[in-house]
Amino acid sequence: MKTIAPMQTERLFTPFLDSVDGTLCVPASATAADIDAQAAAHRLRFPLILDATVTLHEQVAATTHAPASCRFGPYCDNILGINWRLPSGRIARVGERVVKTTTGYDWLRFLLHSGRRFGEPVDYVLRLRPDCGYHLEARFDGEIAALRNCVHRLLHSGWMHWWDAVDFIAEGASVWVRVAIHCPPGEARIFDAQLTCNASESQVRLTLQDSRPPSFDGLPDMVIKTTPDRAIGLAGELAREAVRCVALCYNGVVHVYLRAGEDIGERAHALMQPHLGELHALGGDWHSRWLSATPPTVTESQWIETLELAVHGS
Amino acid sequence: MSLLSFHLQRLLPRGRVLDSPAQLAGYASDALGYKSYRPDAVVIPADAEELVGFMKGARQLGVPVILRGAGTSLSGGPVAAQGGVIVHTSGLKGIREINVEGFWCEVECGVGLNDLDAALKPHGVFYPPDPSSGPVCTLGGNVASNAGGAHCFRYGVTSNYVLGVEVVLLDGSVHRFGGPAGGRGPWREDWKRFMIGSEGTLGAFTRFWLRLLPLPEKVWTFRATYPDLRSIEAAIHALVAHSSYPAAIELLDPRGVAMVESSQMAVGLPKGSFMLLMEIDGPAALVDARVEPVAELLRKAGSRDVVFSDEDAIRQKLWKARKAAGGLLGQLSPDYVVQDAVIPKRALAEVLQLVYDEADAAGIRAVNIFHAGDGNLHPNFLFDSRVPGELEKVELISERLMRRVIEVGGTLSGEHGIGNDKAAYMPLVFGPDSMRLQWAVPAAFNPTHQLNPLKVFGNRCFTA
Repeated sequence: MKTIAPMQTERLFTPFLDSVDGTLCVPASATAADIDAQAAAHRLRFPLILDATVTLHEQVAATTHAPASCRFGPYCDNILGINWRLPSGRIARVGERVVKTTTGYDWLRFLLHSGRRFGEPVDYVLRLRPDCGYHLEARFDGEIAALRNCVHRLLHSGWMHWWDAVDFIAEGASVWVRVAIHCPPGEARIFDAQLTCNASESQVRLTLQDSRPPSFDGLPDMVIKTTPDRAIGLAGELAREAVRCVALCYNGVVHVYLRAGEDIGERAHALMQPHLGELHALGGDWHSRWLSATPPTVTESQWIETLELAVHGS
Repeated sequence: MSLLSFHLQRLLPRGRVLDSPAQLAGYASDALGYKSYRPDAVVIPADAEELVGFMKGARQLGVPVILRGAGTSLSGGPVAAQGGVIVHTSGLKGIREINVEGFWCEVECGVGLNDLDAALKPHGVFYPPDPSSGPVCTLGGNVASNAGGAHCFRYGVTSNYVLGVEVVLLDGSVHRFGGPAGGRGPWREDWKRFMIGSEGTLGAFTRFWLRLLPLPEKVWTFRATYPDLRSIEAAIHALVAHSSYPAAIELLDPRGVAMVESSQMAVGLPKGSFMLLMEIDGPAALVDARVEPVAELLRKAGSRDVVFSDEDAIRQKLWKARKAAGGLLGQLSPDYVVQDAVIPKRALAEVLQLVYDEADAAGIRAVNIFHAGDGNLHPNFLFDSRVPGELEKVELISERLMRRVIEVGGTLSGEHGIGNDKAAYMPLVFGPDSMRLQWAVPAAFNPTHQLNPLKVFGNRCFTA
């Protein structure tokens, strides 16, 4: 086979919306409204929205998951490609516009939540999902043991695949479970019936409401990634020191919202200290948008140096 | 005994080093078949401890080291393209933990995919990636090649389910990236991302933590046939946007249909038709309500032959043609190459036509059996490598196909990996900056390219 000559320029993504594949290339500065303005016309949506007012870049920098990650996975499974500005100022294409790839090393997932340590995103290629036309939000109230039971029933059945979100929320002394559903209007009664059954079996109170647009939590001050079975307990515990905690139950992610203040980073750091040992043993992690990243270990410093040479263009 | 075997027997117990020609012959190729590279030796560590012991001494051997699971790769991945020692990981086959409450399991790299499925089933959970080599392939190979399968359209590929990996590097150091929680662990960066899909070029896997899902309660399988490419393309486009979120959308082209129908596996498909196979799954109350709308969608796109069922026995019959086709390829021709490109689905008909035109012009038989929902093409080019010029024709068709795939916005491989089969096409994908990023990864973890040289990038050579 003859040798194929190397390309002289990057094959960058240019803005596009592919209504067949359900993919959309938008600037990293796009907001939910910008995305919706393009996607809705094709009956498509990008479900991983945490805050309708901030840019997608800010959301991805703040957390790896959104409530709808319960059904659709983390951002890194829903952002297919990026145009990435390297520290040298040059822009490289990372990832693809198709949903499946195993072509080369996975820089996309590596860079996506790497802060600004290796550069920053310019454009994202998003995987959109069919907009089925109907949003429903369920709220379950009750004792914490009953709510845990309710979450267990919601997740440990074939229905789990069809909840957009199953979140345990702790706010002051109040706790409840929020379930988001997105379906064709004609299927709403089927979901209603299942939720009612769940509430009855778990002995919790159910409140249902039409929800368009769906409710947004806003950017968390800190994010913890643990296992699904530990998320509710951790959220309950951290809520004693926080304004609000939202556990994304299937993903094992806890979004923590703290009281505003100049020392917010220090408080986040202090709040995590008792949990770090267990978290690291589980292969979990945490970060706060108010703090810079943990310093690298000695071993990874060597790997990082090699990568930095590449991103700086050496 | 060769000097290499002498050194290997100092690293591993007696009986775990293979070096006779008869023993090595079975490791000369993967499922791609037509390219053979006999290794200098094969080692079979019994457990992770022996694997670590081997890796600690591997650098001093001064020969390439190739990790291999079941050898079912379709890309020329786990073969000794530059000679050296193959490390067969079949001994590491423990399922260490199944944690249903936490939706994760911990498995060793040599566990068979279907063995894991069987172990998970009684717990009501499953691990979704389902490459067709499931009865044979290992999770180590799946993670190394970021394997997919028929149900990826909804469930995603291996990288969507790997929470953590334990890796042994060539200096013998053992690192755990992630774990049951699926985060970074104590590291600053998320190193597991590079490990998944790295095709044995960075380190040796010992074990994984994998994410699980509850088993779907009920499955409906649909089979429909279409008279032409345009009508089946319309059906696919409608299905991918449908609110039923199909789990699988598979296509068998008329050449594949003819192959099945002229075999003992015939199922009565109309001659000259394109076959679409798709599934929806979910809770009975939900999925039963979706059956008629899906059937109607398939009919509306132009099928007069829509069959569907939720009964296991009938569902297996509906899958029969799709499953039989893969096995029949090997019987029809001494050799075949299967490509793995992924394209935007609006280019489906155009790129398939290109495959037919190029193959017909070259006198090469081409059969298409693929994951249409993902736009993941699998054109199979049937040829005889003993006939002078046939392989060259296939390589030329493949190159033209790959160039067009990249032009329409696609990529070289969706689930098989690059191996040495597609390494030559990598310059079509990566520009100067992204190529530099790509090369930085092995430079960090395997700078001498001792691990699996000549794979992923054809000029990744090991120099002792």
